[in-house]
Amino acid sequence: MTKDEIIEVIKVIIEDNLDDISAGDIDPRKSMKDYGANSLDIIEVVSCSMRELSIKVPRAELAELQNIEALADKFLEYKNA
Amino acid sequence: MPDNILNFSLADFFFNDNPDVLGAPADFEEWMAHPAVQKGFSFYEQVLLDAPRVSTKILSNLDGREHRIINLTSYNYLGLSTHPEVIAASKAALDKYGLGSSGAPLLSGTLDIHVEFARKLAEFKKKEDCLLYSSGLGANVGAIQGIMRKGDYLIMDEKCHKSLVDGGTLSGAKMLFFDHNDMDSLQMMLEKAKGKRTLVVVEGVYSMDGDLPKLPEILDLCDAYNAGSYIDEAHSTLIFGENGRGVAEHFGVEDRIGVSFGTLSKSFGGVGGFVCASKSLIRYLKGYSSAWNFSCAPSPAVTGGLMMALEVATRDSSLRDLLWANVSYMKERLDGMGLDLGGSESQVIPIIIGPSGEKLMGYAGAMQKRGLFLQPVDFPAVPAHARRFRISVSSQLSREEMDETLNIIEDVIVKGVL
Repeated sequence: MTKDEIIEVIKVIIEDNLDDISAGDIDPRKSMKDYGANSLDIIEVVSCSMRELSIKVPRAELAELQNIEALADKFLEYKNA
Repeated sequence: MPDNILNFSLADFFFNDNPDVLGAPADFEEWMAHPAVQKGFSFYEQVLLDAPRVSTKILSNLDGREHRIINLTSYNYLGLSTHPEVIAASKAALDKYGLGSSGAPLLSGTLDIHVEFARKLAEFKKKEDCLLYSSGLGANVGAIQGIMRKGDYLIMDEKCHKSLVDGGTLSGAKMLFFDHNDMDSLQMMLEKAKGKRTLVVVEGVYSMDGDLPKLPEILDLCDAYNAGSYIDEAHSTLIFGENGRGVAEHFGVEDRIGVSFGTLSKSFGGVGGFVCASKSLIRYLKGYSSAWNFSCAPSPAVTGGLMMALEVATRDSSLRDLLWANVSYMKERLDGMGLDLGGSESQVIPIIIGPSGEKLMGYAGAMQKRGLFLQPVDFPAVPAHARRFRISVSSQLSREEMDETLNIIEDVIVKGVL
């Protein structure tokens, strides 16, 4: 799986979970917070994405990630492990 | 389960894929069964064999034996849970009313001591009225759920307690979190909520950091955006302010606070919670705050003791003075050891260890073996890079107990004697 494919998965899940945002408008260089996500929304998006990708990344490794792209990098690391 | 099993935490098993709805996730069971994880969890749910005083006895999970320990984990800040006058008042109420209230407050559960205690709390907090709840968590969940509705905006400091978050979730209101004590971030959230019914929620003392909110600035922003204010004074009531009324008194802004919440399980030494506000809001909450109107009224035995706890803590400042003297003594010496105490401004003093869970648990075990009961606070309760111990200073601490505590902390955390 490529990083771009992972980003697409995350984008669709963000669209499903946040109000007034469509996947096509999401810039992966931004943080989910920039699109109005609160910490509970982020937990939901991350959990749904991991379920979709069949991976399990410890939350402790996600806390410092700054944007959607960094999240995709971390997911890719686990997907390819 | 992967090799990095120790990087996982309770934050990783909330979502459950087990087809058996009554089963825990399979990987959760596997994780919990790992010896290192079990060792970490062995610090929790250790059983106290005596009252939660500073000097008490536990049945240690580490060796299965009874030990006398210095307890700096309980929230008995003023020692009121075992104060002789509080116990006598509780016994008198037990003799008169029995163990339970036997009813929801709206029907038959309201006793005269509930009315009297609520009135005294309202007077103490300088509000028109007060609602008593059987649980502190229930009071926050119930009050927020009773006030907020779908379409409203609830803006909370990111470090607010889970009970406030749960109340928000239950209410259906849109929740926004601002960066801890960051006024620019709060203003940004208020901008997003502009024109909507908005409530700003902060705490008096943040329970994992021991710092205070920037209350005057927060209230200025609430005024500018026509937002209501709600303060959770769980760890600050009876402790802050000239008369112990809390952080709002400390900052001189009591009249600007919309809702003042307090818990009865910490400095009060009992159990329960209360919400003080205008008469009209309290009357409204009686109809819509489920944790109040669908829950049995507080135990009269507890209420009788709590009423005396309020009397003892406010008849003069002696207990508060003792507490603050102990806080100064401890902080000065901990600071002198070069420990990271975060931004603590209160009787809650974190000792921040850093990212290593292994180090945290190693220190916890070594300190407990030396007779100091100081619970480790791990991720996700605190950020993964800032795992810590959290000292709850009590007025009950003697100079000898503080010196012994400081010796143990210095040997274990500073010198690394494990």
